[in-house]
Amino acid sequence: MSVQDDQVRILLADEQSLFREAVRVVLESEPDLRVVAEARDGAQALAEAERLEPDVALVDAGLPNTDGLQATSEIRARVPGCRVLVLGTQEDDLLTLVGALESGATGYLTKECPLAELIDATRSVHRGETLVPPRMLGPLLSQLVHRRREQNEAVKLLEQLTRREKEVLALLADGAGNDRIAQELVISPETARTHIQNVLGKLGVHSRLEAAAFVVQNDVFDELIGARV
Amino acid sequence: MNTTVRSGRPRRREGVWLRQAGTENAVVDPTKDSVHLLNDTALAIWHLCDGDTQPEEMVAAICEISALHPDVVTEDVTRILGEFDRAGILEWVDE
Repeated sequence: MSVQDDQVRILLADEQSLFREAVRVVLESEPDLRVVAEARDGAQALAEAERLEPDVALVDAGLPNTDGLQATSEIRARVPGCRVLVLGTQEDDLLTLVGALESGATGYLTKECPLAELIDATRSVHRGETLVPPRMLGPLLSQLVHRRREQNEAVKLLEQLTRREKEVLALLADGAGNDRIAQELVISPETARTHIQNVLGKLGVHSRLEAAAFVVQNDVFDELIGARV
Repeated sequence: MNTTVRSGRPRRREGVWLRQAGTENAVVDPTKDSVHLLNDTALAIWHLCDGDTQPEEMVAAICEISALHPDVVTEDVTRILGEFDRAGILEWVDE
C-alpha cells in the first residue's frame, strides 16, 4: 500500500478491532484519506504516532493503557504536527469534550455520528479547524465563561499578596515545605511559616494543599513567576 | 471595523422555548405564534443568553476555542444578539 503525497495520513486508535476495521474501510474509500496505522490502546497509539508521524489521529476517549485524553496530550507534545480528533461515546459528555480540548485535541466527535460526518471531521481537523458538536458548543462556551470569571477572581486575590507572599505561594505550588521555602528565600523557618499563614488567609484557603490546588486549578502559576525573578 | 457591543446582559425572554429536532434548532415564541430558526453559532449564543453573561464574555469564550479575530467574533455576536432583539425573544438585564 503506497501513500500519495496529497493524502491525509491517519492513525486510528480504538480498542475494538471491528470498529477500527469498519472505519478504515470507510476512510480509505475516500481518495484523499489513508489509514497508515492502527492502535488498540493509548501506549500503542503514542508509539505509532511517534514512529509514523501521521497528519491526523482519531483517538477513542476511553482507550485502555493510557486513556485517550492522556494519549492525546502525549501525542501533541511529542508529534506536534499530528492533529487529534477525539471520539467520545455520548454527545452530552461535556467533561470529556473539555478534557479533549485541554489535552490539545483539535476536535471532538461522538461515535453516534454518521460515517460521512467522521470523514468531513477528519478533513476539517487536518485543516486545523476546531470541531465541536453544535449542540455542545453553547455548554462549552458557558463553561469557558465561568472558568475565565474564576480565573479573574483568582488574579484579584493574588493582587492582594505581597511580592514575598507570591514567592512563597509559587514555592508551595511547587510542593515545597517550610524548610525549602526558608532556604530558597533566605529567611528563617518561623518567618516562612508566618508568610504561609498570611497567604492562606488572603486566599481564603485552609491548608498548603488547598493553596497549591488554587494555583493549579485557576492556572495562575504564570502570575507568580514574575515575583520569583 | 470596530463594533460596539451593547452593554448589559442578554436573557432569553420568559415564555419562549428552544425546539430541537434532528439537526434543526428553532426558538418558538407562542405569544407571537412565531418560530425563529437558529444556525449553530446562533444556537451557541442563545445558550449563553442567561441574564448573567455579558456579550464581551461571549466574544472572549468564542475566541478561546477558535482562531477567529476578536473583531470578527464581536461583529457576529452583535449581529446575532441584534437579530434576537428585533425578533423580541430577548430582554436585557442592566448592569
